[in-house]
Amino acid sequence: MKKFVYTIKDEVGIHARPAGMLAKTAKEFECTITIEKGDKSAVATKLMAVMGLGIKCGDEVTVICEGVDEEAAAAKIEEFFTANL
Amino acid sequence: MKDKIFGVLQRVGRSFMLPIALLPVAGLLLGIGGSFTNPTTLETYRLTNIIQEGGFLYTILDIMSKTGSVVFDNLALLFAMGVAIGMAKKEKEVAALSGAIAFLIMNTAISALITAKGGIEAMPANSTASVLGIPTLQMGVFGGIIVGLGVAALHNRFYKIQLPQILSFFGGTRFVPIVCSLVYLLVGIAMFYVWPIIQIGIASLGQLVLSSGYIGTWIYGIIERALIPFGLHHVFYMPFWQTELGGSMIIDGVTVTGAQNIFFAELASKSTEVFSVSATRFMSGKFPFMIFGLPAAAYALYRAARPEKRKVVGGLLLSAALTSMLTGITEPLEFTFLFVAPFVYVVHCILAGLSYMLMHILNVGVGMTFSGGLIDLTLFGILQGNAKTHWIWIVVVGLIYAVVYYFVFYFLITRFNLKTPGREADDEETKLYTRKDMENRKNASNVDMTSALILKGLGGKSNISDLDCCATRLRVTVRDSSKVADSLLKKSGASGVIHKGNGLQVIYGPQVSVIKSHLDDFLETPQSDDLSSIFADDTSVDTDKNIAVDKKHKKALSLYAHLNGTIIPLKNVDDEAFSTGILGDGAAIEPSDGNLYAPCDGKIESIFDTKHAVNIISDDGAEILLHIGVNTVRLGGKFFKSYVSDGQTVKQGDLLISFDIEKIKDAGYDTTTPIIVCNSDDYSAINVVAQNKVKVGDKIIDIS
Repeated sequence: MKKFVYTIKDEVGIHARPAGMLAKTAKEFECTITIEKGDKSAVATKLMAVMGLGIKCGDEVTVICEGVDEEAAAAKIEEFFTANL
Repeated sequence: MKDKIFGVLQRVGRSFMLPIALLPVAGLLLGIGGSFTNPTTLETYRLTNIIQEGGFLYTILDIMSKTGSVVFDNLALLFAMGVAIGMAKKEKEVAALSGAIAFLIMNTAISALITAKGGIEAMPANSTASVLGIPTLQMGVFGGIIVGLGVAALHNRFYKIQLPQILSFFGGTRFVPIVCSLVYLLVGIAMFYVWPIIQIGIASLGQLVLSSGYIGTWIYGIIERALIPFGLHHVFYMPFWQTELGGSMIIDGVTVTGAQNIFFAELASKSTEVFSVSATRFMSGKFPFMIFGLPAAAYALYRAARPEKRKVVGGLLLSAALTSMLTGITEPLEFTFLFVAPFVYVVHCILAGLSYMLMHILNVGVGMTFSGGLIDLTLFGILQGNAKTHWIWIVVVGLIYAVVYYFVFYFLITRFNLKTPGREADDEETKLYTRKDMENRKNASNVDMTSALILKGLGGKSNISDLDCCATRLRVTVRDSSKVADSLLKKSGASGVIHKGNGLQVIYGPQVSVIKSHLDDFLETPQSDDLSSIFADDTSVDTDKNIAVDKKHKKALSLYAHLNGTIIPLKNVDDEAFSTGILGDGAAIEPSDGNLYAPCDGKIESIFDTKHAVNIISDDGAEILLHIGVNTVRLGGKFFKSYVSDGQTVKQGDLLISFDIEKIKDAGYDTTTPIIVCNSDDYSAINVVAQNKVKVGDKIIDIS
């Protein structure tokens, strides 16, 4: 299991577009990627669930990758967060 | 083990063919151009009136000579690249580039060390050379070959390497030039210390030759031939031709040193009655085997080739034989058998040495400008007259040599089944392939499923007309773009597919070069021709079958207009997240008023705090996103009012959100409102069934 914590810097948080892009990125990997905010969590490929987290600027999220390609997935997702959020 | 070495040698030999194919042409240019721009030749035949330096004919000949010469001067580089290409299994162009780079790096490393030790002057005479302007050690073709072989080995080992994600841009084929550069930097340093030891050994052989008469001449001949592959023959014979090692003589009152200098001084002198064989013994021996022996050997190679291959091989051998015969440039021919049949080359060396000795014994005094072809024989033998040169013995010995070479070569090649050109075991390779193929079929895990999936997504092997990649995407030209299945490509890991006519870009990210290498490999396996068998047999793979199963879980449903307004195709929405379908398939409505209604029965999964968008999960499991306007997230909820909350159940036609359409437009936002099926992958078809004006409650989308 690989995980990292990220604080959202984008002023509008994870709305439809970034959620879509995140889901797209997450679909590249076989492992299960989960986004946690507080006591709520969502599977990254589930667009609706991710949007449902209502992640806003300044929120701290934990990303957990679990599966065969978790290393690569964690690196890629973290890269995605840094670049877009 | 023996077979393995043999197989490698065979590949090495074959990899030599590319640079060798160039040599006959270069040899002819150099031979003809060089002979007729040689001042001694011109004066001897009183051609100075016709061919004058600076004149038209001279310049043409000079160009021929120099362009021919440049090939030989850079033979090492050609071999570095050619061998790398020949020995690399895949992505040969990368191996070629790496070969060139490694060659430059190795020589530059040597050059820097030479400078550090006091420069060229501090090195022994004849031990250095200028390679592409780099002053380095004289390593001849051998220098290129060690680069070619090493680079190919590194290439085959690393061209598919996967690096950590941050460095992934440098992975795959891009890693090859990098690792080759570093390795050959070290090889260059090592060579600087090792090579001079070899050179010293050769120089001391020279002493042995001088002190042993006829036998000495024989040894000289053998060594001279044996050193050709290593490019060391110059180190060896030049001292004989140009220094006291080859003797000294007083001609017309002037002391002349070196065998070749003595010959040309005698040629220029009117008092010469017979050329001194003590000098020409280092040269005349070349004529019999170069004009007669080797061309006969070429004929033996031709005869030994399989009949169906003779036509192909014949062209190469004929031009190589003619080059040897006319100009005395033998490398094109010698290299065709040297590496596949080293033993034959040994025999050739012994016979060549014998030729030198026979010429010495028979008192043949024919010199040469640089080698023993017909051109030099004519100029410095026949035209000088038999009385002075005894050239007739060259023909006599030569004819015998032709017979001997033909039979020796033919016998050795057929007796030991040597893989000279045209005898390579094509069918053996094919057989190996089939066996591997069988194993692969038995063991499905050997099949590269990702590549198989990509290939299927691209519409099969026959649909690909061109395959390439850039930094992040696979660039494919297909024959029929309708055969491309984006969904399969996405399953293979693609984050997007862009169509432009028959041009296709499949976006994978920086790891694409590795993906392409695997795909190239897969394309060469027989399985790639028969994708259906792979996908039918293997149930573990996510194929159409599984998709079909998934689809059955989701019931068909219809969506009804969520606003009053005008239907707009999703691809016309001015926001890539919607227009490219990243979020899913659907449609959009350009609203005429500011009330958003539920498009189906379901549950509010979530409503954004900014109230500009809402997620609904229908009773049938469709995940629907309604998103009012483009970029309206920035309004932070201003101008929006919501009538529902998370988790609330809604009926089709319930009011969800109202918004001030005019104020939003005034604030500079587009109010186009997409309706997206976020889990589009769960369905096989999402069809927009309405167009133009719609009213709330009109059916707009069928999902099945």
